[in-house]
Amino acid sequence: MSGDVFFNSSTMKKILISGFITGCILFVCSYGGLYLAVRFFPALFTEYNNPLFNSDGNRDLLFYLHAFIFSFALAWFWDRFKSLFKGPFLLKGIEFGLVYSIVALLPVMWISFSALDVTIAMVLSWFGYGLMQAIVAGIILAKINP
Amino acid sequence: MWYKPILWISLLLLWPPERTRWVIAENSSLSVNGSTNINKFSCEIPSYDQTDTLTVSRKSKEVALTGNVGLKIITFDCHNSMMTRDLRKTLKESQFPRLYIRFLSLSEMPQLRPEPQQVTGWVNIELAGATKRLEINYQVSMDDQKVIHLLGSRNINFSDFNLVPPRKLGGMIKTNDQLTVAFHLRMSAVN
Repeated sequence: MSGDVFFNSSTMKKILISGFITGCILFVCSYGGLYLAVRFFPALFTEYNNPLFNSDGNRDLLFYLHAFIFSFALAWFWDRFKSLFKGPFLLKGIEFGLVYSIVALLPVMWISFSALDVTIAMVLSWFGYGLMQAIVAGIILAKINP
Repeated sequence: MWYKPILWISLLLLWPPERTRWVIAENSSLSVNGSTNINKFSCEIPSYDQTDTLTVSRKSKEVALTGNVGLKIITFDCHNSMMTRDLRKTLKESQFPRLYIRFLSLSEMPQLRPEPQQVTGWVNIELAGATKRLEINYQVSMDDQKVIHLLGSRNINFSDFNLVPPRKLGGMIKTNDQLTVAFHLRMSAVN
């Protein structure tokens, strides 16, 4: 458990490949889900007509890369701590998603709500969205990198 | 030939162009209606903070309507604080704080009766530093209190004024380019 985690080429390769596969699946699930949610539950998204959110499209690429950034980060996190998760891959994935959400997502949502002019419903939806993403990523990572 | 200018001046003195001045009242308003792929919005400037004057004058068939209306973008109210701020940002309020309607002409001299009269006219709309010449459909009437009502409406596009309709979440929420601008000027005639 030293700097080898970063520099061992086979470990890096495993992380990159599993991160990329997870990113592709998460891309389809996340943006497909978001598209369907906007289409079928438009009222939930009216609050996004807010200058807080980028509106000229110059960051769209960054927005759509999010699934991959998220997946590579979780692929590394999974590879490093997977030995701590026990049981079938589905359970490992769910537990991993919950751990990530409590450790990383909850504090970020807390500070977002306290500092930004956004509603509690919006922040809760972000938390739910992130939790779902983390559970899906956890299940995929537990399956392809046991 | 020397007598021609004298003749014109005499004619002008004998039959001066018909001219009326209309003072715009504070309770005049303007609204902008638009839509996104998830909702519709209606933003209003509920009152006019200046006392401007429009002049209507007729020379033969031509009816000139001159005068400007300058509306503060910051007074737009979309009945939703976030949307209001978003519209102000889209219209570049910090750089161009006013929307101007510069009146140019009318298709005919208004009769000023209680029944609304349909007329058309040309205006220059100046928004976010860009100017667009547009033909407006008006309804003109005068009520029992001698208040002249000039209602105008016109569809415009954000892109006509080099503005980009807002898009959020990577384009999943998109504002449509077309807006309907409607104004209601309440005026009193002065000579």
